Amino acid sequence: MLLFAIVIVAFAYASVGFGLKGRLPSGLFLYVGAFAVIVLAAHLTVRRFAPYADPLLLPLAALLNGLGVVMTYRLIQAGRNGNPGCNCGTSGTLFVPMSTSATLYQILYTAIGVGCFVGVLALIREPRTLQRYTYTFGAIGVFLIALPALLPSSISAVPGTGAKIQIRLGTFTTQPEEFAKLALAVFFAGYLVAKRDVLALAGRRVLGIDLPRARDLGPILVIWGVSLLLLVSESDIGTSAIFMGLFVAVLYIATSRTSWLLIGFLMFVVGAVVMSKLFSHVGERFDIWLHPYTATNIQDHSFQLVKGLEGLGSGGLLGKGLGAGAPYYTPLAQSDFVFTAFGEELGLAGLMALLLVYGLISERGMRTALLVKDPFSKLLAGGLSFMLALQVFVIVGGVTRLIPLTGITTPFLSQGGSSLISSWIVIALLARLSDTARRPAPRPIQDEGLTQVVRLE
Amino acid sequence: MNRALKRMSVAILVMFLLLMINVNYLQGFDTGKLAALPFNSRTLENQVRYQRGEILTADGKVIAKSVPSNDFYKWQRVYPYRDVYAPVTGFYSLYGATGGIEQADDSVLAGGDSSLAVRNFIDMITGKQRKGANVQTTIVSSVQQAAYDGLQSKLQGTGFMGGVVAIEPSTGKILALASYPSYDPNKLAVHDGKQLNINDAATQGAPGQPRRDHAINDLFPPGSTFKIVTSSAFFNQDGTRNAQTSVASPSQLTFSDTTSVLTNDQGEVCGNGSGQAPIIVAFAQSCDTTFGKIGEDLGTGVLNSTAAAFGMNSDTLTIPMPVTQSNYVQAPGPSTTAFSAIGQYSDTVTPLQEAMFSAAIANGGQLMKPYLVQTITAGDYSKIQETTPSTLGQAVSSQVASEVSQMMQAVVQTQQGTAFGFNQNAEGGVNISGKTGTAQNGVNNSHLDDAVFTAFAPGNGNPKIAVGVILQGGGYGATAAAPIAVQVIKAYLAYLQGNP
Repeated sequence: MLLFAIVIVAFAYASVGFGLKGRLPSGLFLYVGAFAVIVLAAHLTVRRFAPYADPLLLPLAALLNGLGVVMTYRLIQAGRNGNPGCNCGTSGTLFVPMSTSATLYQILYTAIGVGCFVGVLALIREPRTLQRYTYTFGAIGVFLIALPALLPSSISAVPGTGAKIQIRLGTFTTQPEEFAKLALAVFFAGYLVAKRDVLALAGRRVLGIDLPRARDLGPILVIWGVSLLLLVSESDIGTSAIFMGLFVAVLYIATSRTSWLLIGFLMFVVGAVVMSKLFSHVGERFDIWLHPYTATNIQDHSFQLVKGLEGLGSGGLLGKGLGAGAPYYTPLAQSDFVFTAFGEELGLAGLMALLLVYGLISERGMRTALLVKDPFSKLLAGGLSFMLALQVFVIVGGVTRLIPLTGITTPFLSQGGSSLISSWIVIALLARLSDTARRPAPRPIQDEGLTQVVRLE
Repeated sequence: MNRALKRMSVAILVMFLLLMINVNYLQGFDTGKLAALPFNSRTLENQVRYQRGEILTADGKVIAKSVPSNDFYKWQRVYPYRDVYAPVTGFYSLYGATGGIEQADDSVLAGGDSSLAVRNFIDMITGKQRKGANVQTTIVSSVQQAAYDGLQSKLQGTGFMGGVVAIEPSTGKILALASYPSYDPNKLAVHDGKQLNINDAATQGAPGQPRRDHAINDLFPPGSTFKIVTSSAFFNQDGTRNAQTSVASPSQLTFSDTTSVLTNDQGEVCGNGSGQAPIIVAFAQSCDTTFGKIGEDLGTGVLNSTAAAFGMNSDTLTIPMPVTQSNYVQAPGPSTTAFSAIGQYSDTVTPLQEAMFSAAIANGGQLMKPYLVQTITAGDYSKIQETTPSTLGQAVSSQVASEVSQMMQAVVQTQQGTAFGFNQNAEGGVNISGKTGTAQNGVNNSHLDDAVFTAFAPGNGNPKIAVGVILQGGGYGATAAAPIAVQVIKAYLAYLQGNP
């Protein structure tokens, strides 16, 4: 199956070359070869350290990662080497230009990501060891979130977006929140395993909903406050939504109490509405979501969203073909709007496939959570899977105008290292968890499971 | 815990389902709407991939063409005659085609029209570069230039607007379509988006509204030229009436429904002062009392149907640009009916409608549908499609047309005619028939009068051209508007001598 993924990526890459110039792209064997070596290394690691891991996870992740690399290559070519590009800005390539070596970097990040994947599988043999470091991870998570807000704008501001979410040292940039998410997922799981019984105690019952006791509300209030602070100080609505969603989901899984879902959801909505009234940049997000096509918005605030939608419209059912569309008109097509770039060139068919792949990864993760025995592993697997799904929902829903747009990365597809590496760590953790879940049962049923899996593909 | 996990997996499933439904909607059903969004870069890029067709005059002058461009867009649209042909061509900007032939025949010029499908297919097979089709208009360049120059000489610097339309009466071919003030379409065809927005705002806000096509999209009071309609209705009503029929010519007209009275311009008395005059004399002198009385007697309903027969009160005319409806509004009482009969009250017309009055009379009462596009030709100028003239119906009988025609001749060719003075000096051997109008404007006529003139020529023989001229704030029709019509007519007759 991994070979399938590699072949699809190779075809996609060749297709870019044909779409642009009508011939095979240069560097086909170099890029695809390097990619193949990296993911085969990942495969061997799984065979060595987690032989019972869910066999779907790695091929699916590798497929997404490979397509992301291909799209990076395709977008670099916009406006270069005689290929059509955007006449926007001064560069003649993209709104936010990419360096010519971005594909190489992306492959390098893939290597680092897979390296982390290997490292996680090799070092963490038993997921419960993570539980020991619950508070350490909590501290790391909060520190990583707070870091860009505390640093001066010259280091932490993302050019042209007004968001302060990265750390730049020379040419190297990283977005610590991508890793903070993972640390917090571990922290939430560990914390809630310890406290779930306390939180599950019924408080008063109002209107048929079990309200928790006031002091049990403490943690959710703290997380709510942190995510709102993040929202305000770093202009990062999307990530705060994901923290909030992650926490509420893990809380719900731990306590099985619907009231937490309602409370968490209500608090986020109230927070978002209040913020949208208080801060114009938050209110603007709602405005362009509801009225993207008004004369003033279309040329200014909602420009990016509308360009993305135009791209989706131009792609139609089957897409323009890789290399043959015009994704360069959409600002940030390489990161936040990579999904619309795929929609333009691969069409509805391609997007459905991508969403299915994401859906499969998430649901395989949830399945792992169901199978695994120990509560911490359950929470961790459930939290990570839900977080991945939520991240896809927030960004894809945002660029397709299902929900207000918030700029976060699309896992595996967006250009950039932090997101890719952290996504690989998620896959590594899920692989480790699923390996644990399936290991003690080397019975024939396992083989049946494998056969079923093959048939799904 | 497992129950919660199962519920969460259902939640995830729902989230992905929502995403999929939304993407299906966007890419499956909504593509047409998305493609039509203003400023859609993808749609525009598709259009600049091919060379857009040319727009030409009847005598072969290229008034809009696409030349290779060195920037990102492959082709630059150029309008060699700038302001003169702006109402004909419209312009093609980064926002798409706006106004004129550019917009009305956009798909033909872009080469995507269904009528070009076979040719495009052949080009594809033979490997030829696809090119949009050319549109050859009915405009004659010398006539258009004369019309524009005439408007410019009268209106430059006044802040007022005006329009001139010339039609071939027998076919409906539009020979000139001039509007002033106008704009330079080249400034709106620039590829620099910022500059485009600046130029766009500048022309939108300029005095005289240069971006409007005053010739077909702006309404002015017709003034006394409406007496063509009133007289037609008068002759229609009774077959024994002719140009010599004697009609009442009082010095003032009083009404049952108001104390105000209708007098002639400067209180003069028409005819020989007897209170009766042949209608041809009253028409030549443009007696308001006479035609007010005739209108009052005919009734507003009769005037309404006659006006409609001349093409008024209809918003369906396209040339192919949509033409604003000229209005005759039915009057509520005798006095208002009388005023409506002399082109006041709520009567409003376009300069094109003025030309259509004369064209119908000149063509024996038959009103031809005005049109601007003669042929559509392929990239190699081979003919793809040609317009055949069509009629809008019989405005009046040929008998009535001939009587009205005699009266219009008298306006210009007899001594008492309102346009005789200018005729003597400027006509230069060209026989013109016409009707002047001086429309009073505003509350208590506080605005400057609009000058109106409608004419056809030659008046004594087979008419070749009909012209409508309206100058806002121009003053007397005879002194301001008529000279422009003469220049236009002369230009066309000269053109005909060279190209019979």
